[in-house]
Amino acid sequence: MTFRQARYDEPSIWDLGSGRAGDLPAAVAGIPERLRRKAPVRWPELSEPEVVRHFTRLSQMNFGIDTSTYPLGSCTMKYNPKVSEMLARRRGAAEMHPYQPEATAQGALELLWRLEKLLAKVTGLPEVSLQAAAGAHGEYAALLMVRAYFRDKGESATRTEVLLPDTAHGTNPASASMAGFTAREIPSKDGCVDVDALRAAVSNRTACFMLTNPNTAGLFESDILEIAEVVHKVGGMLYYDGANLNAILGITNPGRMGFDVAHLNLHKTFATPHGGGGPGAGVLAAGETLGPYLPVPRISKNGRRFRLDYDRPKSIGKIKTGYGNFGLDVRAYAFALSHGEEGLKHVARRSVLNSNYTAARLGKLLPRPFRTLVKHEFVLSGAPLKERGVRTLDLAKRLLDEGVHAPTVYFPTLVEESIMVELPETESKRELDAFVAAFERAVGDTAENLHAAPRSLAVRRVDEVRAAREPLLSWKDLRDAGAKAETP
Amino acid sequence: MDELFADVPKKARIGRLGVAAGRDERDVVAEVDKLLERNRPLSRFASFLGGRLSARYVPAAVDAMLSRSEFYSAYTPYQAEASQGMLRALFEFQSLWVEMTGLDVANASLYDGATAAGEALLFARRLHEGHRFLVPESLPWEEKSVLRNYASGPGLTVEEIPFDARTGRLDLEYIRRAVASKDVFGVLADVPNGFGHVDEGVADLKSTVGDVPLVISADPLSLSVLEPPGNYGADVVVGEGQGFGIAPSFGGPLLGLFACRREHVRSAPGRIVGATLDADGQRAYALTLVTREQHIRRSRATSNICTNQSLMALAFVVYASVVGPKGLASLQTTLAEKARTLATSLAGIDGLLAPRFDAPYLGEFTVELTRGTAAEFLDRLRRRKVLGGHSLADPRPGAPATPERILVAATEFVGEREIAKYARAAKAAVGAVGRSS
Repeated sequence: MTFRQARYDEPSIWDLGSGRAGDLPAAVAGIPERLRRKAPVRWPELSEPEVVRHFTRLSQMNFGIDTSTYPLGSCTMKYNPKVSEMLARRRGAAEMHPYQPEATAQGALELLWRLEKLLAKVTGLPEVSLQAAAGAHGEYAALLMVRAYFRDKGESATRTEVLLPDTAHGTNPASASMAGFTAREIPSKDGCVDVDALRAAVSNRTACFMLTNPNTAGLFESDILEIAEVVHKVGGMLYYDGANLNAILGITNPGRMGFDVAHLNLHKTFATPHGGGGPGAGVLAAGETLGPYLPVPRISKNGRRFRLDYDRPKSIGKIKTGYGNFGLDVRAYAFALSHGEEGLKHVARRSVLNSNYTAARLGKLLPRPFRTLVKHEFVLSGAPLKERGVRTLDLAKRLLDEGVHAPTVYFPTLVEESIMVELPETESKRELDAFVAAFERAVGDTAENLHAAPRSLAVRRVDEVRAAREPLLSWKDLRDAGAKAETP
Repeated sequence: MDELFADVPKKARIGRLGVAAGRDERDVVAEVDKLLERNRPLSRFASFLGGRLSARYVPAAVDAMLSRSEFYSAYTPYQAEASQGMLRALFEFQSLWVEMTGLDVANASLYDGATAAGEALLFARRLHEGHRFLVPESLPWEEKSVLRNYASGPGLTVEEIPFDARTGRLDLEYIRRAVASKDVFGVLADVPNGFGHVDEGVADLKSTVGDVPLVISADPLSLSVLEPPGNYGADVVVGEGQGFGIAPSFGGPLLGLFACRREHVRSAPGRIVGATLDADGQRAYALTLVTREQHIRRSRATSNICTNQSLMALAFVVYASVVGPKGLASLQTTLAEKARTLATSLAGIDGLLAPRFDAPYLGEFTVELTRGTAAEFLDRLRRRKVLGGHSLADPRPGAPATPERILVAATEFVGEREIAKYARAAKAAVGAVGRSS
């Protein structure tokens, strides 16, 4: 595909203004003088068309799922159905305040209740809360629940460790630390949990083992039932990181695999848009042991009435304002309704088929480090390119020139120069073949061209080292740097 | 197909999910609409609901920009070259929050105002020794609960600063004594406070706390007319950004705002966009200072946050740019005038103290009932198509009893007619309580 991204010499928004400071804001009666703003916020006064043209131009210098295949591993970049966007903007969804009386929000409460019940079936865990704003937020809340559980058992002084495999997402150890645990990594064997190493590591200090299944190498942890037994035997909890749920929808579920608590990402599996970095929506699902610790309020049903239930004495309390990212819950509910039993199963089958097909073809170009049967994503190693002085990073940038987004790179760290590819169920065979062809052209290109990539985007290779070494983090910094440059 | 799942042990498999069959788009729309039509949205009422979340008019241009799928359907801009649009929008957002707060550095968003305050708590602890974090007793109960969760991990405590019974102002003497214990690692104050009032004492906080980090949680609209907190010594300014171009959507998605001083940037949580150059020496943008973050630093990261609220940050900067600095200040002034009219209309009603506190306010204030409960009162108002605000009480059973206080907000959607309606409904509601008791 010949691809050229739009390239505007678009000024920064402040340079679109007249540069004249406006008038002082009108004083609010009663506000003491020393708390009054002395000058208006330094920001331009612009017309609506100026603002719209500015941001529209910026949008055209951005890849999105509607314009490009977006094979980021562990990110599940699937198509975001337009009907979900439409429904989330209905007055009955958007114009609702979380503090409205329950009687005026029965539809919203019922939607949340129904989505919770549906997700209980999907996870095999009966108690569900939609309060978490994102996956990492869900992990953190779940670990606070685990802590509260061991506190109630009188074991908080001893249960200090959270174990996780060395392939875990970075959020896992970070969440463990924030929740007050010591994170301890368990080495993998052939890309999967080394059960003997796990057995040696667990003890009465183990609060929790966090696991993604399939894991970040795209492999199903086939020893999962044994892993659950090992963790439970020492009294630990088993945590399911749902980032990769797409691969197993309707095939297995966290409850059946023996997990006690899980988070899901509605912005992955349930196709809510990722917004260029967020918002997400994190689902918390728990079994009977940890269910009572979920955040308040829970949604309860009494006859035909739905209410916000705060009477959960063991609850960890609140983890954010409101009840979760409702706008995304509406989208996810529409996705689930339209898919239904067979559709959700199809998600897993098709994404795993896409992954195995593409892995088989790309495996002819670059080595695949682990066993060949993969789930929704797979890992390649860009190490052989080093002989030509080319790195995975160069390959990623070269792919951008083909009009496709790059895969996740340099993760998992277990694999040298790793490339992690995920092509969800919404990518057609034609798109997969186009991606493979683009990948072939990129790998086959000269070292010189790879180093020079990208050439077809709004900017050339971005100097990220400079960005970190000389941080310019706002307009204010640019002004100060400019003033410094002009001083002889 | 079965071969593709040969690695899933038989004992771990499930037969059916047990959910209904899929439906076509028309049916899905009908089904979801049926639920949503069971809601009664704010526009059906004279609504005075506020607090950290506001019902504010969202100019059509904001949603038009949010609907650009190049923005909304993108992932985190890991590949800078393919994501210059979002990176530039986030850089402009960061720049705006820096200008509004008077601080040096803003991040690219956190989940909401409450979690931003939680991150500020952990941030303050990285800057200063101690175990105690002080927050106003008047802080909304939800935020106190969120803060206690953030504090619980590292074994820290959240302690409440009492307020003056007449004015609701923070007890600066209490803060001074607490700080003297050397065990306080941070102090948070909110502007306006949980009662909706502006506490002049915040300007004296920095001199009270000395080198202990001062966190100000500020309503962004208030900053269009109020002194930037950085100018009176705030080390961190957090806030809830929902009121800028984001529909309330029953409480989410929201927008957490975070800004700090330059010297502390390496302790800051969340993604940060920086300006740099490309290979041709042209201006370009990238996520930067990533060694603070979970994907690099893992268990020693400044925060676990990965997915943030980038699209909501876009809404914030588009909203502010469409409305403009003068428009924002004039909106805040208008809301303050409406709130004043409302307070005047309620002031004479027997059974209500409105406003409860003798302190300046912008668009919100607290009403206290001298008889009856907030729940009954609000329910009576609702039946007259008035959403009269929200109770400030912690609804959890066993929570300490507090006076019957209601936070009332003036919005763009209410005028003299709605205000008069509120006053009539309020009079009838407290009158009815008087008769029944």
